[in-house]
Amino acid sequence: MAAEISAHARKWGPAVIALALGVAALAAATLSQAFAGEGDTLALEVKATYLIKLPPFITWPGDAFPSSVSPFTLCVVGQDPFGDLLDKALAGKRLIDRPVAVLRIDTAAQDSPCQVMYVAAGPQPAVKSLQAVAGRPVLTVTDSAVDGAKGIVNFILRDNHVRLEIDQAGAIRNRLEISSKLLSVAASVTPK
Amino acid sequence: MAAGLPSRSGFAQSLETLGQMSIEELGNVEITSVSKRPEALADAPAAVYVLDHDQIMRSGATSIPEMLRLVPNLQVAQISPSSYVVTARGFSGNYADQSFSNKILVLIDGRSVYTPLYSGVYWDAQDVLPDDIDRIEVISGPGATLWGANAVNGVINIITRNSSATEGGLLEIGGGNQEMSTALRYGGQLSDDASYRVYAKAFSMAPFDTPGSGNAHDGWSKPQGGFRVDWKPDSDLVTFQGDMYTGAEEEGQNPDQLISGGNLEARWNHPLDDGSNLQLLAYYDQTRRSSSEGGGSFVLRTYDLELEHSFTVADWNKIVWGVGERVNAYRIAGAYSPENSLVFEPAERTLNLANLFIEDAMTLASRLQLTAGLKLEDDPYSGVAPMPSLRVSWKPFDEMLLWAAASRAIRAPTPFDVDVVETFWGSPYILGKPNFHPEDLDAFELGYRQQIMSGLSLSLSGFENVYDDLRNIVGGPGGSPPYRWGNGMRGDVYGVEAWAAWQVTGWWQLNAGLTVQHEALGFKQGARTLAGIAQAGDDPHHQASLRSSMNLGQDLTVDADLRYVGVLPDPKVPDYAELNLRFGWKITDRIELAVSGLNLLHDKHLEYTDPPSDLVKRSFFIDTRWKF
Repeated sequence: MAAEISAHARKWGPAVIALALGVAALAAATLSQAFAGEGDTLALEVKATYLIKLPPFITWPGDAFPSSVSPFTLCVVGQDPFGDLLDKALAGKRLIDRPVAVLRIDTAAQDSPCQVMYVAAGPQPAVKSLQAVAGRPVLTVTDSAVDGAKGIVNFILRDNHVRLEIDQAGAIRNRLEISSKLLSVAASVTPK
Repeated sequence: MAAGLPSRSGFAQSLETLGQMSIEELGNVEITSVSKRPEALADAPAAVYVLDHDQIMRSGATSIPEMLRLVPNLQVAQISPSSYVVTARGFSGNYADQSFSNKILVLIDGRSVYTPLYSGVYWDAQDVLPDDIDRIEVISGPGATLWGANAVNGVINIITRNSSATEGGLLEIGGGNQEMSTALRYGGQLSDDASYRVYAKAFSMAPFDTPGSGNAHDGWSKPQGGFRVDWKPDSDLVTFQGDMYTGAEEEGQNPDQLISGGNLEARWNHPLDDGSNLQLLAYYDQTRRSSSEGGGSFVLRTYDLELEHSFTVADWNKIVWGVGERVNAYRIAGAYSPENSLVFEPAERTLNLANLFIEDAMTLASRLQLTAGLKLEDDPYSGVAPMPSLRVSWKPFDEMLLWAAASRAIRAPTPFDVDVVETFWGSPYILGKPNFHPEDLDAFELGYRQQIMSGLSLSLSGFENVYDDLRNIVGGPGGSPPYRWGNGMRGDVYGVEAWAAWQVTGWWQLNAGLTVQHEALGFKQGARTLAGIAQAGDDPHHQASLRSSMNLGQDLTVDADLRYVGVLPDPKVPDYAELNLRFGWKITDRIELAVSGLNLLHDKHLEYTDPPSDLVKRSFFIDTRWKF
């Protein structure tokens, strides 16, 4: 068998040589251009899109916005995993009929001016950020229970799809109303 | 999570595309893999190309083989409006020598649709509403360890969308010089955790011309209907689905061919508390084919049950194992003319195909993975065959993957190899070989994938396929009929498959594909043979494709597909280039209009050996879609 394989290997011919050369040339070219790729993954793109698609399914109380012209503010707390995805996806868009601002902050405070707060891992434990806005009209979002803590919406990976876990009790605590449509597409709903 | 999907799919599911999806559709975006265990596609150590929903819709293709023309690692040739040859890495067969393409596994939602009668695919019997398709994953090269029977040269895996992604109504009406079609679909919620859809579709296709420029009388029509129900109690996923079809095909001067069939399938996915996952699949499929004047018929019933369990051991071993049993019961009746007939003796058989497989994906270092697998398949004619595979992949950095694989697969004997009795002008022409050996493949592959920069990705795969015991036709005493099958051919096929996707700007994407392959086949020492090596296949040495997809504003899309297929050597078919164009216009959120032209460069052209191939005609099609 081994002899057979080596006999075949000799016959691999121009195709494989071309492939090897191609690999080598491309590897060299890439390594030399000081790679700085973001590595946009489809999963991140889907999550970023979710963040933008969620607001129309949520009703915020009247005091969620300082004024009728205040922008809709999407906050990312901690290390932003999205790179420029959110900015790209939001370019030129309005959310619930307001202009949109993306605010990246290290720590969340009770008075952070956020309507949606995506809590990523960061200097402050995620659970602290979530506690900081408990009772405030903020839709908290986490990914795969960051540091063991879950926001009102938590992304999970199920059967190769990014799905949502929704905490209805958390939503009520923060005085948010979640449409039944959104609840119906959730992978799981923690009841009131 | 890995970076940089290898196929165009990473880009097609770009933010822009995702942004147009509903919140249900977002939940249905597949973000992992080909392998039976969740894994980022970027990490799959195989030559995988994924055609996503968006690409399929924008191609304007109305049949599965036309969709497969978009896949760079497949070769597609049209023979008549209803008949195609689809292969990967060669072996398209040769009609004059009664050799038919037979080394590809095709699955629709896990249901195997290659026919166990001769291991080829009746493409006319396979159809899915294009809008229902989530994606088509194509693996060129053997996938025998995981996917099993007949995954020799490739696996085509057609996956439909969850019914929660197709709520509401859809009415589609299309017409053109070659095809008229209509489809109606409706879906909705059955309860908080269950959804459904039902559909009906029908089309009629006009005949092509024969090379002598007369009407080939090969038009056909086919209505089909079906349903899918998805239920997600707790964290389980349960799916029921089924289809029924019936079709009539003109067959030149011969009586019409009638086809009909149906299938029912159930899948249950159950995550266990320990983090492992259990999946159960069961289906029933029936397919019939007959001449409108009686005789020349067969009926095939398939019962299949598969269980699969995946789990992790000590963090670095991801193991998936499974068992499966398939029962094929068939009955074949002689042709409409006893003078010229193809029957099996015995005419009725029940074939049992059982398998057991295990695969372990071992993370040896953070960027180095070794996957070892073994499948044991017990086929009805040749007994137990082991099909091992070993794959190694290395990511020198996030955006690059290098992989290598060695694997074995077999094309198991079929009734066509063993039991066939073919009669021409009243005397026996070809007889089966009672002790036909499986056709054997040892495949060695090397691959490279990279996200070269934002918006540009490349995949290169090289392969060396070493075949043994390939079927050939052996002359009778004195070289005259009846001929018999033999296992007298062997040899190598080697080549390269390459494809790239480039997002030129936010609104313009280019895709390019190239395959080059060389067949070095021969006969074993002492083998008797009648026809030459051309009987294995009439395959192009190279083919190339270039596709441009443009979004002109919010509502207008323009897609162009240019393809080139090299000369088919023996019998010789000239090389050709062809172009498909499609303009899609979203008139309102609910109404869409598309105009497409297929095979625009020639009035008619030949794609495969003649006879019996007909000339593929230039065609136009206008499609209207109304969502309600």
